[in-house]
Amino acid sequence: MSRADATQATGLGAWAHAIRRDRKALSGAIILAVFALVGIAGPWFAGDPSALVGVPLQPPSGAHWLGTNGQGQDVLAQLIAGTRVSLAVGFGVGLAVVLLGALVGVTAGYFGDRVDALLSVFSNVFLVLPGLPLAIVIAAYLPSGPFTVALVLTLTGWAWNARVLRAQTLALRRRDFVAAAVVAGESEWRLLLVEIVPNMLSVLVAQVIGSTVYAIGAQVGLEFLGLGDVARVTWGTMLYWAQNDAALLTGSWWTFVPPGLCVALVGFALTMLNSGFDEITNPRLQLERVWRAFLERRGVPAGRSTPVVREP
Amino acid sequence: MSAPLLSVRDLCVDYVTENGPVRAVDTVDLDLSPGEILGIAGESGCGKSTLAQALLRTLPPPAVIARGRVTFEGRDVLAMSEPELRGMRWRRMSMVFQSAMDALNPVTTIGEQLADTILAHEPVSGTEARRRAGALLERVGIPAERLGSYAHQLSGGMRQRVGIALALALEPALVILDEPTTALDVIVEREILAHIRTLQRTLGFAVIYITHDLARMLQFSDRVAIFYAARLVEVGPAATIATAPRHPYTRGLLRAFPRVHAEAGAAESIPGTPPSLRTPPPGCRFHPRCPIAVEACRRERPALLEVGPGHLAACPVAR
Amino acid sequence: MHYLLRRLGFYLLAAWAALTINFFLPRLMPGDPASTLFARFKGKLDPAAIEALRATFGLTDAPLWRQYLTSLGHVLQGDLGVSIAYFPSPVAEVIGTGLGWTLFLAGSAVIVSFAIGTLLGVVAAWWRRGWADSWLPSTLIFVGAFPYFWLAMAALYVLGFTLGWFPLGHAYSDDAVPGWTWAFTADVLRHAALPMTTIVLVTLGGWLLTMRNTMISLLGSDYVNLARAKGLPSAQVALRYAARNALLPSVTGFGMALGFVLGGSLLTEIVFSYPGQGYLLVQAVRAQDYPLMQGIFLVITLAVLGTNWLVDLIYLWLDPRTRDAGS
Repeated sequence: MSRADATQATGLGAWAHAIRRDRKALSGAIILAVFALVGIAGPWFAGDPSALVGVPLQPPSGAHWLGTNGQGQDVLAQLIAGTRVSLAVGFGVGLAVVLLGALVGVTAGYFGDRVDALLSVFSNVFLVLPGLPLAIVIAAYLPSGPFTVALVLTLTGWAWNARVLRAQTLALRRRDFVAAAVVAGESEWRLLLVEIVPNMLSVLVAQVIGSTVYAIGAQVGLEFLGLGDVARVTWGTMLYWAQNDAALLTGSWWTFVPPGLCVALVGFALTMLNSGFDEITNPRLQLERVWRAFLERRGVPAGRSTPVVREP
Repeated sequence: MSAPLLSVRDLCVDYVTENGPVRAVDTVDLDLSPGEILGIAGESGCGKSTLAQALLRTLPPPAVIARGRVTFEGRDVLAMSEPELRGMRWRRMSMVFQSAMDALNPVTTIGEQLADTILAHEPVSGTEARRRAGALLERVGIPAERLGSYAHQLSGGMRQRVGIALALALEPALVILDEPTTALDVIVEREILAHIRTLQRTLGFAVIYITHDLARMLQFSDRVAIFYAARLVEVGPAATIATAPRHPYTRGLLRAFPRVHAEAGAAESIPGTPPSLRTPPPGCRFHPRCPIAVEACRRERPALLEVGPGHLAACPVAR
Repeated sequence: MHYLLRRLGFYLLAAWAALTINFFLPRLMPGDPASTLFARFKGKLDPAAIEALRATFGLTDAPLWRQYLTSLGHVLQGDLGVSIAYFPSPVAEVIGTGLGWTLFLAGSAVIVSFAIGTLLGVVAAWWRRGWADSWLPSTLIFVGAFPYFWLAMAALYVLGFTLGWFPLGHAYSDDAVPGWTWAFTADVLRHAALPMTTIVLVTLGGWLLTMRNTMISLLGSDYVNLARAKGLPSAQVALRYAARNALLPSVTGFGMALGFVLGGSLLTEIVFSYPGQGYLLVQAVRAQDYPLMQGIFLVITLAVLGTNWLVDLIYLWLDPRTRDAGS
């Protein structure tokens, strides 16, 4: 329900509004900006992540802020190098999954009838098949590398988006302005691209953000299993090597804590951004927020019964 | 006049919005005697339903009560604590909601919903509560076997009857009917109103009946209050309002809803639309649509003045 | 019951889809599937194993549709082929050794997490802006953002390795005698505690948010308003009216999240060397044991579909409207 309501705030302006107004959204955006900066500019400043710089499994020190890994490579340099690939795959898959989901979901919702029935069953089947085992099986047959990981995660991850976007399209079709356009004799495709899709823009952005969280987590999982290219430095392969080099048994926590923390921070930032956006655009939550602020100014507690605020 | 059951003075209810509060009930005065039926009429969005829920203090956010006094059975409702309100609600003052489909819990039986009401207020056993729930259903004309039914298994009329049974469960002194028949067809509507009337005569509770259908209300009520844009514009005995309305808005309403037995004459709606409560017009809020408005109407808010025995109107121009 | 049959039909369709994916995957590889696949194993496997692999995938000279039917027939008879990593054990037998452990670990973790998360969601929604609503969602979202296996590693490192409070892995101690005894049960629970806790922690936030958001929107509904106006005690309004209805979307979500959670719990098993499907999966990936991988995918799929059907049953029991629409 809150999703359907969110369409009222259309376009990207709503996002800017959310970031300005909501503490959660703002903190998410800041964390994300820092990671994006590191992903883009970091590799120019950090050293070569594959260079063997010292004794393996050294704890953090002045020379190596995050220590060295089992091969004697600098963990910080690896972390920075891994940021770029991990984020690129994450956002790439997030985008691809929403595009594929939109293609299926919007088509189903818009054309209805048999097209809808067929596509809905198709996406529901994909929704119910366990994603990770399926991704593993497909990835195992393909040459390993970030591209394979991205492809596999896109193939297994689009169904949820299709389902939500189908419902969105159905709701939009029933709205007055779309009905008016139908009466005015606009062509189907124009209607779809001009009236429907732009009105879902803010929801699409929310979906890209949510799907990116999924993609980063699943990517790290696949790579941890050894299904990535283990010679390439990403957060996932760092964790793979940490496990392989028995990080736990040797007590070298610095080899697995940093990449996991980065994954969590990015996921947290993205989710905060989304939930802050929901908080701002959900009309019910917004009304309540204004009401609470008003009561607070008047010094009246917000109880369960209608409060009595004596005018000054 | 005997001691009023309910007395509302100077009541203001606001909806808090981002651009400041919007007044949905503006300085309303009302009295209600025990056993009396008071009708409140007005176009949708004029604040009449807000007033009803404010009396029970169950208006959800973003509503606040900004001013006034509500005295019910000698007690100040606006000063009540949460437990006091819980004690008053339903036991002394209950309500029938507009849409019974939405007002009934879809996943529990209507029997459970009747019984939990009784159990919440009276120290009776579960068996006794269920027996009484069955008796209540039969009182509104539904066989007691339907206690195990869910809301979606009943017809619209039956659901509304369940709503009435719920409202009568604790034999309150006041029952508020908030457009209880809008979702029903005319025959069922008439049947249900007649039923309420019979119950009201035997049980003696007072009624506040809220509707936008003035004609129906005039038949049903003892006294009538007309709402326009959050304000009361006319109050009086139903017979007086029916035959000699004073306020131009009431006259317009009467013309817009010709009674079934009225002599020929097409329905004639009031020109224009009701104002937004966000930006109400100054002075008398009806002046932009009023056929007899004078210059003063644009500037000053007309007071609600006595124009006959028990008859008040907020129009200094009309004769 | 019409509704349950329809759902069953859908799950059969999904199972068929999984079987079909399994059949076509080896054949979709570039070039001639048989030779590509076998070239990869040349020199690594003895000819008997290669012959078994060929038989497993039904890669014969017969036309494709006949290969397809043969392969479906094998699966229906419970024949999933022969494992390469555990040659010459049949895949079905290998999977059978770990299935109970996976279902036990993931199943109990999912139920515990759903119960606690949903309850916390009710608390957060009912006491809006209270302590539970102010910091619980953010904290649990943060915890939930960690990869399952990373949280498992951290927990194992701190609580198992450094502090020594929990065993470092496996489902029970080496010297324990399996059986329905108190001692063995306690041993199993002690070993399951840490992996289960990590799965619960990662998934808790999702259930909390789902329940909280639905319940907040239901708090504005007419029937909750009426319940309040009836003067019912707060707890009754919150639980019997708001939460009872808000539970329905959560239960639907439960069915859909199941596959996802199960995937995560496989990764957790790996860290704890828990002898379930996750452990087998990692062995299969290392040995490029395609039959075992596909077998695990199939079995996990069937488990998810079966559980989904159970969830449908529960939903039916919770929602009288679906009950009536179905009959």
